[in-house]
Amino acid sequence: MIPAPVVPLVCYQILAAILFTIGVVGVLVRRSALIIFMSIELMLNAVNLSFVAFSRQHGTMDGHIFVFFVMAVAAAEVAVGLAILVAIFRNRDTANVDDVRLLRG
Amino acid sequence: MLIPAFLFAMFAGVAIGCAVGMVFHRNPVHCALLLVGVLLSISGLFILLNASFLAALQVLVYAGAIMVLFLFVLMLLNIRGESPLLTRGAAKGFGILFAIVVFVELLWTVLSPQVEPGGMAASPSVPRSFGSPAAIGRVLYTVWLYPFEITSILLLIAVIGAVVLAKRKFG
Repeated sequence: MIPAPVVPLVCYQILAAILFTIGVVGVLVRRSALIIFMSIELMLNAVNLSFVAFSRQHGTMDGHIFVFFVMAVAAAEVAVGLAILVAIFRNRDTANVDDVRLLRG
Repeated sequence: MLIPAFLFAMFAGVAIGCAVGMVFHRNPVHCALLLVGVLLSISGLFILLNASFLAALQVLVYAGAIMVLFLFVLMLLNIRGESPLLTRGAAKGFGILFAIVVFVELLWTVLSPQVEPGGMAASPSVPRSFGSPAAIGRVLYTVWLYPFEITSILLLIAVIGAVVLAKRKFG
């Protein structure tokens, strides 16, 4: 048997909250679409950390399964998102989200 | 007893430092490498939480595959650093304000008294197989079999979509 963890759950949750917030700042503040994608990955990872910490706390592995699916969906999201980015860059020669304003009229 | 706490502090510090650096660094390649730092330290935290399989997966899938994809696109597009780093005027102030609100809300949720009585208090000791590939595989291929199969379809659709999007000429 593995004994109970030394670091309490709340520390992991606070760390996840901090990382998630940094990701939110990155999405809202940066202009490069690529960095925005990276910030989204950061947020997904913060949530994954939260899942795994809760999973350890409860002693069940359902959280691990959920993280597994999040990773799969993140991989799919990155593939499609980067393809869109390449298409935009090829058309408009920019990856700056302030310059891509076709829908704004 | 002290070593896990020290490791947690180290990984947490590296993760937060790299994340802040990633958000505010000018060069996109450095941003990507700093994100790799974040992902690796989160993988270390997974090991501290006895999630050995997910730690390996984190290194393979995130720090390996996904970051290679990022760097590949970065090199392909030859994106240079943005001249003004941040978005314009009002959006920046509003963004930071919104982020502070999100953070306060998250902290409030995390630090509030737990809803579930007694459910959160105890950290049970777990069997030695907790989080091992065998244990996860057993759950994944029995209880979660259908979601797993649907995930494979999702990945297939993503691959086809990526190829179609990157191939077609718009406009």
